[in-house]
Amino acid sequence: MRTGIVMDSKKPPEGIVLTPEQKKRQRERSIAIAVALGVMVLLFFAVTMVKGPIVLHRPL
Amino acid sequence: MSIVDHHAIDLSPRISEAGVADYVALLKPRVMSLVVFTALVGLVIAPGHFHPVLALTSILCIAVGGGAAGALNMWYEHDIDALMSRTTNRPIPRGRILPGEALAFGLTLAFFSVMTLGILVNWLAGGLLAFTIFFYVVIYTMWLKRWTAQNIVIGGAAGALPPVVAWAAAAGSLSPEPILLFLIIFLWTPPHFWALALFRTDDYQRANVPMLPNVAGPDATRLQILLYTILLVAVAASPWPLGYFDAIYGVTSLVLGAGMLWYAVRVYRYRTGSAALRATRGLFKFSILYLFALFAVLLAEVVVSAIARMMWS
Repeated sequence: MRTGIVMDSKKPPEGIVLTPEQKKRQRERSIAIAVALGVMVLLFFAVTMVKGPIVLHRPL
Repeated sequence: MSIVDHHAIDLSPRISEAGVADYVALLKPRVMSLVVFTALVGLVIAPGHFHPVLALTSILCIAVGGGAAGALNMWYEHDIDALMSRTTNRPIPRGRILPGEALAFGLTLAFFSVMTLGILVNWLAGGLLAFTIFFYVVIYTMWLKRWTAQNIVIGGAAGALPPVVAWAAAAGSLSPEPILLFLIIFLWTPPHFWALALFRTDDYQRANVPMLPNVAGPDATRLQILLYTILLVAVAASPWPLGYFDAIYGVTSLVLGAGMLWYAVRVYRYRTGSAALRATRGLFKFSILYLFALFAVLLAEVVVSAIARMMWS
């Protein structure tokens, strides 16, 4: 005899359920944030390369 | 039994449906394009060699800083934006973005734009960008705009600062040329915005914003437009005799200035009916062309002389 919990596949998911439109917009925003962060990383890298060792010289 | 009827309050969390385009709209892209253009001119005419990567970084930071100021302006003004036909389609009045979201967005961009410009370029430029955002948001938006009819005269300083920030980024110091660029935009702002206010009087009245036509009346505004235009044309031409910009700029400035004066005189003369409306709309449109063309000449001169140097060497 098998024992255990039987999952009810028809049970609605708990918590907040996003509509397809909300999911789409959320994904758009996430991509935009990722692109912005990527641009910022590239910018800092490029300026470090351009300035060279002088970036380490930071008098107070 | 509780005092508060919980059924009347929507306790469900709000899920944002704002898209990237809504956040871009918060940055006031049209204003930003003018900020970027005037900053580019300030950057290009500054003396000395400025590495293209640092130039790009500076322009990007100034653009984002300008956008941050726009977002913070929309956060603070969402109540009156909903009342004016010109601004009712902005993301907050439309319900696409909550005021708190716009505030967080604006503060984040302001912080990162100032810090990035300060760290990567120099702190004079970073400090000036911070001051520009502060002036636009706190001095103009929060204080002057709803308090005095001189709101856009003093507040115009914020819009005039981008070429100064850019010059500081490129040169690391300030000199008379960026101050002259500042003065040109500063004196250009009143005729430009008062022309708009003359044909949007109802909008500002509904929102209870004390623009000059609503406070002093349209006739006094027309006189002020004419006086500021005369001052603008004189100041815009002054860099030529003072020896800061050359004759090409000087002549262009006088020709364009004659156009501005012609439109300002028309606004002063035609006070009623469709002729008055045509005159104010004409001045508003020409003032945009005027500023763009004036700065484009400075940009073109630098580009042409650089190309000429490359061809000779």
